[in-house]
Amino acid sequence: MRKKLAVVPERCSGCRLCEITCAVHRQNANNPKKGCIRVTTVYPHPVVRMPVVCSQCGDPKCAAACPTNAIYRKDGIVHINKEDCVACHACVDACPFGAIYVHSELEAPLKCDLCNGDPQCVKVCPTEAIVFLPEHVFGQAHRLNNVLSYAHMKEIEYMEKGERKRLRYADNAPSGDLNK
Amino acid sequence: MRITLRAAISISNFRIRLKALGHFPKVRLDSHTNHSLEKTKVKTFKGGYFGKILHVDLTRGESRTEGYDEAFIEQFIGGRGFAVKLIWDNLQKHRRFDPWGEKNLLVVAPGPLTGVYLPSSGKNSFAAISPATGIYGDSSMGGSFGVEIRQAGYDALAIHGQAESLSYLFIDDDHVSIVACPELAGKGNLETEGRIRDAIGDHDVRVASIGPAGENRVRFACVTSEWSRNAGRCGIGALMGSKNLKAIVVRGNRDLPVFDLKRVIEISTQAFAELSRHEMMDFWHRQGLMSVIDYANEIGILPTYNFHDVHFEKAEQINGFTMEANYKIGNTACFGCPMCCGNINLVKQGKYAGTVVEGPEYETAAMLGSNVGIDDFGAILRGNHLCDDLGVDTISMGNLIGAVIEGYEKDLLTIEDLDGKPIGWGDADRVLELIEQTARGEAIGATLALGSRGVLERWPQLQPLVNHVKGLEQSAYDCRGAISMALAYGTSDIGAHHTRAWTVGKELEMGAEWDAEQKVNLVIYHQDLRPLFDMFGVCRLPWIELGFHEDFYAELYSAVVGRDYTLDDLLQKSKEVYNMTRTIGVKLGTGRADDYPPERAFAVPIHSGPLAGKVCDRGEYEKMLDLYYQKRGWDEQGIPPLAEQLNL
Repeated sequence: MRKKLAVVPERCSGCRLCEITCAVHRQNANNPKKGCIRVTTVYPHPVVRMPVVCSQCGDPKCAAACPTNAIYRKDGIVHINKEDCVACHACVDACPFGAIYVHSELEAPLKCDLCNGDPQCVKVCPTEAIVFLPEHVFGQAHRLNNVLSYAHMKEIEYMEKGERKRLRYADNAPSGDLNK
Repeated sequence: MRITLRAAISISNFRIRLKALGHFPKVRLDSHTNHSLEKTKVKTFKGGYFGKILHVDLTRGESRTEGYDEAFIEQFIGGRGFAVKLIWDNLQKHRRFDPWGEKNLLVVAPGPLTGVYLPSSGKNSFAAISPATGIYGDSSMGGSFGVEIRQAGYDALAIHGQAESLSYLFIDDDHVSIVACPELAGKGNLETEGRIRDAIGDHDVRVASIGPAGENRVRFACVTSEWSRNAGRCGIGALMGSKNLKAIVVRGNRDLPVFDLKRVIEISTQAFAELSRHEMMDFWHRQGLMSVIDYANEIGILPTYNFHDVHFEKAEQINGFTMEANYKIGNTACFGCPMCCGNINLVKQGKYAGTVVEGPEYETAAMLGSNVGIDDFGAILRGNHLCDDLGVDTISMGNLIGAVIEGYEKDLLTIEDLDGKPIGWGDADRVLELIEQTARGEAIGATLALGSRGVLERWPQLQPLVNHVKGLEQSAYDCRGAISMALAYGTSDIGAHHTRAWTVGKELEMGAEWDAEQKVNLVIYHQDLRPLFDMFGVCRLPWIELGFHEDFYAELYSAVVGRDYTLDDLLQKSKEVYNMTRTIGVKLGTGRADDYPPERAFAVPIHSGPLAGKVCDRGEYEKMLDLYYQKRGWDEQGIPPLAEQLNL
């Protein structure tokens, strides 16, 4: 079972704990700008706070753009081979999400490799804005929403012993045809 | 070497800018000059400090870095401590000076723990001789601004002089430039920040700016960063305005020096886990400081109708639950903080529909709500938004508007004084108008902009209604039910602010069991401990709200700097710094006569709520003040022995 990072921007507070946690654990440096994840904040219209991190794409554009084939995919994780990397930053430009980062003190670009299957940012995120999910769980929330929307909820009001009451029920009959 | 002023800022649409910034931003900055002036030798330390303070002279357009030695750290720790020492030295150099403009040194100082991997490390202090009070003043700001200063490689910024025309200071790691920005004159904080990011071509630079209130020298103008992180008190924004400094912009990339990172990770990982398990955490995420409204209303310290009452009958319309149910759309947090106490609110319907604001927290909701009689939470949000954008401190603003309303109600002010427009409790439109007029210095706002002292000069009859100490307006905790809080306000080195000591909760809890000595002891302990957080550059809320132990910070500090300190060592240093700020205050003209809470604390008994009938007793206060001086080691006029060392 493969797992991936998922981001829930609605929950993100913009505290940047993920950035600094990544940096201290992975780069051994107290420098939020050396993290492989960064929070991008936009305000006041619209208000968005979103951690941007590698999606471990199945067909990584960064790998396709790499002139030295330093980027490869193994067991569902996209890695950068630092020895082959020439630091041309073509991958940074190629990533459609902007999820590869550059720091002037480091040769190779910074890219998430899921901390050997135990991402530190997930552990520290105070609002659960970053979650680590099995791949098959992705989309489940949307699926559930969609399924629930099939249940046409209706509400009726009725009187019982002089008291007004309400009853909610699911009207699942497709446009009432079955009743005929 | 001289830094050439750069004019004109390119303006482009916010959305287009975001699109363009997707990959490599186009940066066009002409005539940048490096600063490399007479660098003094920079000493390196084991950890915690870069050993560098950046001095910028706006008058001459120069900058230089200065090093310091071990003794400097030993004595002042960092952050606010460094600021006090720099301001002290500047006072000795210039002796007495006008707090406006050139000679007044502005210090921006994050601490040795700012930006370090630990809970809530995003604080930094702005300090100077306050234009509002004429004595030492400081205010701290959250967010990421302080972290960025540290990443640029400086332990503090010291800003001297006065720019020729409206400019912003851009610190880009080692490159420092002063950029003229006449087109930003009169612009609000939000637009200023956006335009500066635009001009630099980097969405991630950190900007601390002033709004029109700062430019117009409103005595309680604040410095604002990232939409709504404010250094609100003591009129630091007004000082920036008088220096023609519209904003400070920072970009830094360095690692922060930490001696024993392994140990820091060890301590902090445990701390983060502890915090996430905390039983209050969920509620805190939901309401943040807004939960204090109910608490304050219940125990009887919520300022209502200009500190006349302590219980607001419509408090449930402005409390945290109302916010949660009808307005809240998200959380925000300062750097590295798991507490996320910022609330993002949206007014969805009614007169103020469409207002989005980060806030309010307790002080704002109380001062722009119950204190002026407003029960419409939408109006409070609108007021909060205006204050953030125009750059006005909500605490002082709420105080002064409250005094005006009460003055008019009691016939101390005439309709002519109010420009022909009446005002009453809860008159939201008029309150919002006053905020705007104050920031722009128009009509009656021109008087309010002068702060408590200016208002009293113009309208001396308001003397019993304006709640201030040493010229700084009282923050949103009534002190009549707890005399130790009155002492805290009276003896605070910057004026009536709760940042130095907040003892009201404890006193009401302990009740009659608590004697005068215990009260004085707690005030002094708080006054030593709470500034320590500003010296470290961390937030004190994990300690106050979630019961984090003080020793935790001593342990972390030791790991970061690579030396062993106990909390007592650090408190002792903090005490010395307090003596220094007190000395500055004494030398600049305050004394025992100024160490009293606002007059209302003695004169008007509370008439409702659980503390009905309570009022501070002057005789008791005098005795406590004597005891306070004695325990501080000051003479009976409140003059510390240190005063001999500062000759102005």
